[in-house]
This record gives sequence, C-alpha cells and structure tokens, in this order.
Amino acid sequence: MADATTQAAHSKAGHHDHGTKRYFIVWGILLICTVLTVWTGYKDLGSLNLPLALVIATFKATLVILFFMHMTESAATNRIVFVTSFVFMLVMIFGVFGDLWTRSQMSLPNHVPSTEGPEIPVFEGGSLPPPGHHE
Amino acid sequence: MSSSDGHAHNPNLAHHFDTIEKQDYAARLGMWLFLGTEVLLFAGLFLGYTVYRHFYHDAFHHCSRALNIGLGTINTLVLITSSLFVALAYWGVKVGRIKLALGMLVLTILCAAGFLFIKYLEYSHKFHVGELPGKWFRAEELMKYPGANMYFTIYFLTTGLHAFHVIVGMSVLIWVGLRIWKGKYTPDYYVPVELGALYWHLVDLVWIFLFPLLYLI
Amino acid sequence: MSQPSQTSQHNEDKPVYPAVNYLNADRGVKSWLLTLDHKRIGVMYLMSVLVMFLLGGIFAMAIRLELLTPEPTIMGANTYNRMFTLHGVVMIFLFMIPAIPGVFGNFCMPLMLGAKDVAFPKLNLLSLYLYWTGAILALTAMLMGGVDTGWTFYAPYSTTTPMTVFPALLGVFILGFSSIVTGLNFIVTIHTLRAPGLTWMRMQLFVWAIYATSIIQVLATPVIGLTVMLVGIEKVGGFGLFDATKGGDPVLFQHMFWFYSHPAVYIMVLPSMGVVSDAIAAFARKNVFGYKMIAYSSLGIAFVGFFAWGHHMFTSGQSPFDNGAFAVISMFVGVFTAIKVFNWVGTLYRGAILVSAPFIYICGFLFFVVFGGMTGIAVATVSLDVHWHDTYFVVAHFHFIMVGAVIMGFLIAIHYWFPKMFGRKYHEGWGMVAASFIVLGFIATFIPQFLVGNAGMPRRYYMYPERFQAMNVASTAGSTLLAFGFIIIAIYLIYALMRGEIAGDNPWNSRGIEWMTTSPPSKGNFDKPLVVTQDPHSYQKPGEEVEHVVI
Repeated sequence: MADATTQAAHSKAGHHDHGTKRYFIVWGILLICTVLTVWTGYKDLGSLNLPLALVIATFKATLVILFFMHMTESAATNRIVFVTSFVFMLVMIFGVFGDLWTRSQMSLPNHVPSTEGPEIPVFEGGSLPPPGHHE
Repeated sequence: MSSSDGHAHNPNLAHHFDTIEKQDYAARLGMWLFLGTEVLLFAGLFLGYTVYRHFYHDAFHHCSRALNIGLGTINTLVLITSSLFVALAYWGVKVGRIKLALGMLVLTILCAAGFLFIKYLEYSHKFHVGELPGKWFRAEELMKYPGANMYFTIYFLTTGLHAFHVIVGMSVLIWVGLRIWKGKYTPDYYVPVELGALYWHLVDLVWIFLFPLLYLI
Repeated sequence: MSQPSQTSQHNEDKPVYPAVNYLNADRGVKSWLLTLDHKRIGVMYLMSVLVMFLLGGIFAMAIRLELLTPEPTIMGANTYNRMFTLHGVVMIFLFMIPAIPGVFGNFCMPLMLGAKDVAFPKLNLLSLYLYWTGAILALTAMLMGGVDTGWTFYAPYSTTTPMTVFPALLGVFILGFSSIVTGLNFIVTIHTLRAPGLTWMRMQLFVWAIYATSIIQVLATPVIGLTVMLVGIEKVGGFGLFDATKGGDPVLFQHMFWFYSHPAVYIMVLPSMGVVSDAIAAFARKNVFGYKMIAYSSLGIAFVGFFAWGHHMFTSGQSPFDNGAFAVISMFVGVFTAIKVFNWVGTLYRGAILVSAPFIYICGFLFFVVFGGMTGIAVATVSLDVHWHDTYFVVAHFHFIMVGAVIMGFLIAIHYWFPKMFGRKYHEGWGMVAASFIVLGFIATFIPQFLVGNAGMPRRYYMYPERFQAMNVASTAGSTLLAFGFIIIAIYLIYALMRGEIAGDNPWNSRGIEWMTTSPPSKGNFDKPLVVTQDPHSYQKPGEEVEHVVI
C-alpha cells in the first residue's frame, strides 16, 4: 500500500530528525495565544467574544495537531480520520442547534412571536362537523 | 512468514504483519481512530454546552465570572507545557537520548499532577460555596439567574470527564516510561511512545477548547 | 485466474476434512478463552449471539402471547413494559449490532483479505470480553427486576424510574466499547493487511460492507456511550442534564440518543447487505452487476445515515425546520439502497440459480428490504409520520428491516459459511423447509402489524381496542411459525455440526477468496502466501456465458 511504503522510506532514511526547535517555537506561540485569549476574554466585544475565543482556540489546536502530534508527517489516512471526527462533531452540534434556533422562531416575517395562543376560527351555526365523525 | 529470508527480524514484529513498517503504520492508524472516538465522546458534552448556553446565556455569563480565571490560565499553561515535554520525550527516544526522554516524561507527569491539584483546589472551593451541579446547587448569589445550576452541571461533567482522561493519560505515560527505562523502546522501535504522546496531546486539545468556553464567556 | 486452493480439489474428488485445523489445533478451554485466532473468536461470538437471540426471541414470544387478547392475557402492565424493553435491548445491543461483524466479519473478513489475522488480535479478544461483560450486566439488570423504559431509555422516565436502569445502562456503555474496538480493528485490518495484488477494487463486497459498518461504529458509538453515561449520572447523582425541573431539555437526550441510534441501524443492515452481495454472486454463479456501485453505495449509506437522526423525533417538539430537513435527508438513504437492489436483481438476471436455503432467504431478503425500505420512506414523510409515530406501523417497518433484511442476511451467512467454518454440510432439504417457514412466518407476523398500526394501534401498549384483535392474533400465529422455523434450523445445524456430510474446501464452488483454503481453515489460514490476481466475484470472463453447473 502506498502509505506504508512511504512511511518505510522515512524511517529507513534516518528518521527525518527535525530537531526540537519547532516544538519550542510552537510552545511559545501557544503561550502567547493563551495570554491573548484571556486578554480578549476580559474585553466586552458583545457577540464577538465567543467566536473570537473559538478562533484562537482552533488556531492553538491546529498547531498542537500539526506539530506536536506530527500530523504534518502523518499518513493521509490518519489525517482524514481525525478531521472526519471533528466534522461529525460539528454535524451533531449544528443539527441540534438548528432545532433549538428554529424552534420558537418559525413565525412569519415581520411577525414578533407572541405569547398568546393561535387564532382559532369560530364557526357560526351548524356548520361544524358532528363529533365522532372520524371512522 | 519470511523468517527464512535472512532479513533481520525486529523482535517486536507480530506474526501476521509482513514488515515492521506496516505494523507501525497500523498502530498509528489504530491510535488516530481511537483519538477520533475520543473527540466524539467529548462532542456530546460540547453539544450540551452549546444547548444550555443558548438557553441560559445570562446565567452562563455570570457563572463563568465565578470561576477563577487565574487558576484556569495557569492550568492551560501547565497543560501546554506538558505537551511540549511529552513531545520532547518522544523526540528523545527517537534519537536515542533515553535519559532526556525519561526526564521529559517525568516532567510531563508532574505537570499532569499539578493540573489535577489545581483542579482539586477549584473543585473544593465550589463545594464550599455550593456551586454544584443539578440538585446540589446552592450558591446563593447565582441563584437569581435561571439555569445557573445547568452551568455547573456542564462544568463538572466536562472537567470531570477531562480529569478522568488526565488520570488515564498519566497512567499510560507512567507505563510507557517504565518500558523505556527497561530498554524496550529505542530508536529502532518507539511507536508505543508515539502513541502515548498522541493520547496526551488529545487531553491537551480538549482543554484548549474547554478553557475559553468555560472561563472566558 | 484464481489461485488454486491448497488442496486443489475438483468436484469429482472425495471432499476432504483436514485433520488439523483451527478447531483442534490447540486443545483445552484456556486455549479458547485466551485465543488470538480471529476464527475462534468468531465462533465464540457465534455461540454468544445465538444465546442472546434465543433470549430476545423468548421476550418476543412473551409479547406476542400477551397481545393475543385485548385484555391482560398473561401479564400486567409493568411486566409488559419490561418485556418489550428487554426484547429491544437484547436484540439490538446483544444480537443485531455485534452479530454479523462479530461472527462473520471476524471469521471471514481476514480470509477474504488473504491475511493471517486481524490487525490487533488482542484487541479482538478484548472486544469479545467486553461483549460478555455487557451481556452479563444486561442479564443482571434483568434479574434485578428488569428495565421498563423501552430500549430507547428516554429521559425523564429513565432518570426517574424506580427500576434498575443503571446496570442496563452500564451494560450498553460497555457493549458500545466492544463495538468501537471491533470497528477500529476492522478498519485497520482492511487498510493494512490486504494480500499483495488485492487492491481496494478487487475486494469482495462483504469486505466493503464491513468497512462501511466499521466507520459508523467508530464515529457514532462514542456518542451513545456518553449519552447512557449521562443518564446514569443523572439517575445516581441528580445532575439534571435532561431534567426539565432543573432547566434541562429532554429533547436533548433524544437528539444525542438518535445521533447514534440511527446510524446504528446501518451498522445492523450494512453487513447483512454485504453478505447478500457475496451470496447472490455465488448462488447465481454470475459476476456481480455493478460492483463499484454496490461498493460505493455502502459508503454512501454510512455517510448519509449520519445526517438523518431527527426523523425519529418528528413529534417530539423538534422545530418544523429541522423536521423538514431530516425528512429530506432521510429520503436520500433510499437512493443508495435502491441502487443496491437494482444491482442485486441485475446479478440474478440470467444467472445459473442454485435453489437452496440461502437462495430462499435471498428472495425473502429482496422482497423485505424493498418493502421495509419503501415504508421507511413513507414514515420519513413528516405529514404521514405524525399519524404513524408510536404505532405498530413503525414497529412493522423496522422489523421488516431488522428481521426481514438483517436476520435474513444472518441466516444466509450462517448457511453459506457453515461449511467454511465447520467443514460440514447441513441438510439442504430441511434447510429449505425451515427457510419457507421463516419467510412465510415473517410475512404473517409483520404485515398485520402494518395494517393494525395504520388503523391506530399504539406500540408498547399491552391492552388495545377490540377491533385490533384479529390482526394481533394473525401476527402471533405468524410469529409462532417463525419461531418454529428457527427451531428447525437450530436442530439441523447442531446435527450437522456433529454428523454433517463432509463439505470439502469449496462445496459451493464460490469464487470468494475465503474458499481458497481448507474448510475448516488451518490456524494460520493460508499455507502459502497468497497473491491475488482475480477480480472479485468473477464467475465468467468478460463476454463468457454463464456456466450451468450441477453441484
């Protein structure tokens, strides 16, 4: 299989030793990002706070995955596996969130959802179907 | 198979694999698949967080203020540094610097212990003040926000599951460390060290997301 | 062309039973309990799932007996709740999900790859032990009084019922891990242990099906693990995640539960479809029509199946927007299934059919998967499901797939691969008698349930209005026929194990790679390393006529 043979080439060729510099650089960036996320967390940016925090967290996570977990050197299958798990996590979250977000807001445009009951048409006279009509 | 072809046999090669390279590839793929399952395990809790933060935006904001950001930040820095240490430990075995590797592993485990200790401090404070999940919630200043107890339910579930994984990760690293010390893992065969380190990095990954979501909203 | 089998056999030669094979290579109970041989693990899975099937079947018969009369027949309401719950839990978690992957995935798939074992034999043994642990926990729950929440464990009832839910939840959690470990193992095996020459497009369709199933197992099962754990924590610790009085949302439980449990039905049905793909080629002695389409449609079902979970929740309070979205997406799964059905029928067309027990099951399977699938599309339509939800219509729909497709597939597998696993043939005459009972019994059991469900009979009720009785009696009569069929199968298979005619390496003259070694196989599977040059399921060269061989 193509992937196993590339891997074989790598290890036989003397372990492609990158040295430790990249680990320290990534570590430094992660520390800075942590400070950054705490600092922006204190500022009130309204509805931007959460997306910003998530963007920084995703950036940090990406660095950990690519460099600490060596995904830059990993076989493609491993990358697909891990990314897929995140994708399906997002599917679950957005599928459910879609339900919540639209549960109480399926109202007409320009119509503020009200707390009153729906309008029930009132029949005059004997135009109502007789009870127990169903079968 | 192929033991008669004169090729120097890696003693770690299992009988059903043709070459050690294929076996290592399989081990890594297996580990990444397992990490994928861990992501989906935590996914359910992140979903719970999303749902309840949507319902109880106000409560979540105020309850988050009740957390100690200082301790949380220290914990984040501790875990990130532990990730560095374990990456260095893996590198150490790969290039044959076994003493360095062992030292780095010890530092990683110490960081993990430190993380757990700080978590213990935070938890005991919450027990004291009544910031507890579900039916145990009795923190008076926060009671005026509907849904405050749900914040702490999510908090304890996510950090609890995470702490459990920290303990498991520590155990794995201790076991790997002992095997390195006995000389089982060398530059010729170090895949188990890689797998142990990957697990530890996942623990770090989860916390990288948990920290802002719990402490900084 | 194909590799010669190790003991190159022609039909005229006397079939040989290898003196030393995986069954007797090592002796003693310990050699079985500590085995790393995928074939032995498969056999142990077989024995275990059959016991569980019997248990689940007993619960089913209890349900059907109770439903003979509109009034309480043999049990009260609480007992009835426990009966249908345990029927569901045992059948789904202890039989349907582990059966075909655990038995035939384990036994046949490495053989089909030309491999010596799965990628992680120790993990394989672990998955078996996890299965046994989960089974014991489920049995414990039964002995401690049983569970009455339904197999779906909906909150808030599951978090507040006085019944012993916790052992059952823990059992499901552990069974989930068994499933994850199996799936992980199989994915790595298929990626790394294929014999030289066996490219992805030369793999047998059963392997493709197992691959797709394993992907679902790995991605979906952790979610149910977490969900049941949360219910357990809520029950024991009062955490209130799904408790409305504490601000929780019970519908959240349903979302999390069905995020796994809908893909779970594809974990159950995909391996069965894989069995059918392999068997149809063998029993029609014809190249598979549309090999690539069948292979890709397995992946398609696995993928789309993840986006459809909300169709179990149309009446739960889920938003109309989500209802519509899930309904539309659920329809797409039907496309992939239809692709398979057309290709299977295309394979049968102008084939040299070998009329036999497996073939009768194949016919049953085709009819039931179409009927079950079409009714699935029907209940996926929101406006119709509002009427059918929680009625017997839904029960009939999923039994058409669970029994009509999955169990037919299991029966095909057990008959097709029985000679491979045990080196003996079962009695074909009795096989066909039993198959007829099963197919007819199945129709008699579940068609009345469609009718009575559409007429409004709710599910999980032990009493019902009198006008539904005729259909219920018919259904119970059918289930008796079904049970009778299974008993006949059990008898002749046990007999065949001990005294069956020696089968020889390849009694079906199949082109599957698993048949290119002895039956039963030796411990190491293949004596000489295999190099694969043939196309999968290739019975004819391109342009060649189908040969009508008498077996």
